[in-house]
Amino acid sequence: MRVAGLDIDAVLDSLDQMASRRPVAARIVATSNNDSTGATDLAAILGADVALAAKVMKLANSAYFGLSGKVTSLRFAVTVVGFNTVRSIATVSLAGIDDATALPEDFWETSVHLAAASGTLGPRFQETAADAMCLGLLAQLGVGLLHQADADGYGQLTATTGFGPERFIAETRRYGICSPQLTAEALQQWRFPVEMVDALRSVHAAGPAGALLRAAYEITARLVDPGHRRTSLGSLTDNRINESQAPATLARTRADVEALRAALGL
Amino acid sequence: MSAVAASSVDDADRRSPQREPRDVVAAVLHAATADAEVALMVTDFSDAVEPIIRWSNLGATELLGRASSDLDGERLADFMQPPDKASLATIFRRERPTTTLVTVRTAVGETVACRLIAIPAPDGCLWTLRVHPAQSDLELALRASADAHEHRFKVLAERSPVPTMMSEQGMRLGHVNDALCALLGVTADKLIGTGWMAYIHGEDLERMTDTVVAVLAGQEREMQARFVDSQRRVRYTDMRFTPLHTPGVGDGFVATMEDITDRRALEEQLNFQATHDSLTGLPRRGKLWDHITAAMEDPQAGLTCMFLDLDNFKLVNDSLGHKAGDTLLVEIAHRLSGSVRPGDLVARFGGDEFVVVCGTGSLDTALEVADRILRVLSDPVMLGGVEIHPRASIGVVLRSPDHHSADDLIRDCDIAMYQAKARGRGRVMVLDEGARSAVYDTLTLVSDLRQALEERRITLCYQPIVCYEGTHPQLASVEALARWQHPDRGTIPASVFVRLAEEHGLVRELGELVLDIACAAMAAWQPQLGALAPPQVNVNLSALQMNDHLLVQTVKRTLRRHGLRPEQLCLEITESALMNDPATASIILGQLRDHGVLVAIDDFGTGYSSLAYLRRLPVHYLKVDRSFVAELQDGHTAVAQAVISLARSLELGVVAEGVETVAQMQMLERMGCSLVQGFGISQPLAGPDLVDWCRSGLPTPQVDAP
Repeated sequence: MRVAGLDIDAVLDSLDQMASRRPVAARIVATSNNDSTGATDLAAILGADVALAAKVMKLANSAYFGLSGKVTSLRFAVTVVGFNTVRSIATVSLAGIDDATALPEDFWETSVHLAAASGTLGPRFQETAADAMCLGLLAQLGVGLLHQADADGYGQLTATTGFGPERFIAETRRYGICSPQLTAEALQQWRFPVEMVDALRSVHAAGPAGALLRAAYEITARLVDPGHRRTSLGSLTDNRINESQAPATLARTRADVEALRAALGL
Repeated sequence: MSAVAASSVDDADRRSPQREPRDVVAAVLHAATADAEVALMVTDFSDAVEPIIRWSNLGATELLGRASSDLDGERLADFMQPPDKASLATIFRRERPTTTLVTVRTAVGETVACRLIAIPAPDGCLWTLRVHPAQSDLELALRASADAHEHRFKVLAERSPVPTMMSEQGMRLGHVNDALCALLGVTADKLIGTGWMAYIHGEDLERMTDTVVAVLAGQEREMQARFVDSQRRVRYTDMRFTPLHTPGVGDGFVATMEDITDRRALEEQLNFQATHDSLTGLPRRGKLWDHITAAMEDPQAGLTCMFLDLDNFKLVNDSLGHKAGDTLLVEIAHRLSGSVRPGDLVARFGGDEFVVVCGTGSLDTALEVADRILRVLSDPVMLGGVEIHPRASIGVVLRSPDHHSADDLIRDCDIAMYQAKARGRGRVMVLDEGARSAVYDTLTLVSDLRQALEERRITLCYQPIVCYEGTHPQLASVEALARWQHPDRGTIPASVFVRLAEEHGLVRELGELVLDIACAAMAAWQPQLGALAPPQVNVNLSALQMNDHLLVQTVKRTLRRHGLRPEQLCLEITESALMNDPATASIILGQLRDHGVLVAIDDFGTGYSSLAYLRRLPVHYLKVDRSFVAELQDGHTAVAQAVISLARSLELGVVAEGVETVAQMQMLERMGCSLVQGFGISQPLAGPDLVDWCRSGLPTPQVDAP
């Protein structure tokens, strides 16, 4: 059943309003795409939001980046975690999902798994681990938005569908758009790199653009959903990776989940 | 312009809030219509359930391969679809432009991946679509070039025999090459991300992190680091880090590594060989010094040093052979190493000497260790079928504020060990302050003696040897006697400083100095005294000089330097010194005699001369020991008579020493010994006094008649 009340433009409009309440996060998202922006510039902007700066410092000093306790300046923290990561953390803040109570119960657990799995898989898809990690971390943004718009309906939808493609189909049927696509719309609005937007937009279909995220969703499903019916990694990625690489990827993801969970204060 | 386009312009003109001038709108539309570079379409999504094409430009007709008239009124979905084959409806937003990926189907059935940007018109019914290939030809070419470039670089890095890692952010690795995987014996999966950190040696992790922090801050760094491979083996590497900055992304690094495990192992082996005794495997002196010096850096650290010397080791070596001696040393080293506590050091000092360094300031603890060592050492050892019970003497010293260096500590425990030896061997002695003072005193005196020799402050006295044959006594020779007037301690007896010279390796310097002064005096007397001058000078040789193969050269050189004839010099050597090594002595004395130098055996009769040797030894004189001369007046004439008779029968000259009375002179004369020396003729005289004495007609002192 399609919900007539979900207006995607309205959802995106609400993000614009949110941006005005989080000016620092909005500036970071707006400026970190620019190649001419340096770590010093980004750190200067970040320094105006203590909560955001603390998150970046905590992440830079986490086991995920292997420099526990060594990063003492915000500028250095920005270079350690990378601009894309800073932007992703700002985006989480911008979207209002960092402290939102109205999120699905397993929202962050799933997001951290997606982030870790994407980070692990990234180098196999010619993506840097950090960029891929950011992609995974933000992929669920659409879920948060759908849940905020239709908490009961979305709760029912998740209760009756398995994580991954099955849910994407149900989301599209109900809202006319699936959650990664909605994320893509939001990120496009914030002028994220087009490759990142394309990857999210293509995750529920075939083709190379969404292959990394499809594999990350599959790895995440295997880790968080005991009843998940496996789809081979080869078929999801046009054989860019295959099932023989699954055990190592699962192990590495599991380890990074622990580090990221602590790093992000979840 | 087509009718549809004209209609659109009218609509735009009517609805645009800005109301652009009609001629401007017409100009823009004209340009857009004729633009072949960009595909533009206008679609209507107001009444239909799906978007319908209302207008298209030249770029669109070229992209789709259809005439503009063929596109108008057609469903957009007939020409393009999103990748998921979902509806295109989601891209048509009322208020914001959207971008999506679509697959465009051309008239010839070809599919082209394109990016579709939908821009809503203000009325909310029309959308302008801009369609362009997802990647232009230039982009594709650049991408292909970049891909090829990256591929080449990747192949180079991956196939390089140099282990290489690349971090994209922080310590997280994005890439590792095959050589690094081979070095650590794991697949790349285990190393990327922070996985590689699990293979860094625990003690190097902190340093590695600090280095990476510096590199991420832009510095180039090098470091040595240990890794633990999949077989738990430690691999030593030299690492070189280079910062890797990606604008707009962040900072990482590239590190190359050189596996220096084998080289290091070789260096360690060479270092071990240089610092450890090859026989026992124990550290040698250098290592011992380093260990003590390092321990002494902490003034509060307890430190005890033990000097251990095996008792009667020479006996084992001499009786069972050096191989058995070596076996014993190895066994002792093994037992010592097993007797000390963890952290203590056992070193081989040299020969049968070992030093144990304990990190304790407790005398009780140190003595426990020393007693345990004595107990363990005394267990029997079978050497060549003989059961040996090794024993050792151990000197113990606790570090005190007086000890400023390893030298101080070793010296004191050496002293303590000698005390242990002196008190009966097989025991442990803690350093006694009195003994230490005595040793210090001796060492100071030796130092003064060395200085006196350098400054030629050793002087000579000369005691005449007179021949009483015939009516007038004749001066036959003078015996040079060394004297040392210490600036603080006064006269040091010759017996003392000669012994010190012998014990501390100064005997050659002393001997050469005495020979030189005596020859110089001899040369000086000739012009001063003429016929009254001593025809010969006697110089004493130390027993140790009889092992000096350079002695003959030294004597020849000295005689030549002073213009003396060889027969003007007579070298005196004690009977016991001769018998230490008669074969060598015979060779050296033979060479001296061949040169013409005279040789006398001093203190004859006090040793254990082999008469067979004596007959063969190239000597010219025997000197009857003063003890035999002294007993003449008591009626004990047999020994003196025997020596004199022996000399006569061997056709050697004979000189009686220690003659003090006229009676002794008369008795010796009756026995056939006319060459005499002693206080009865003259006490030893300083050089100028001797000249006066010669000029005065060789006056004898007033001596008491017996």
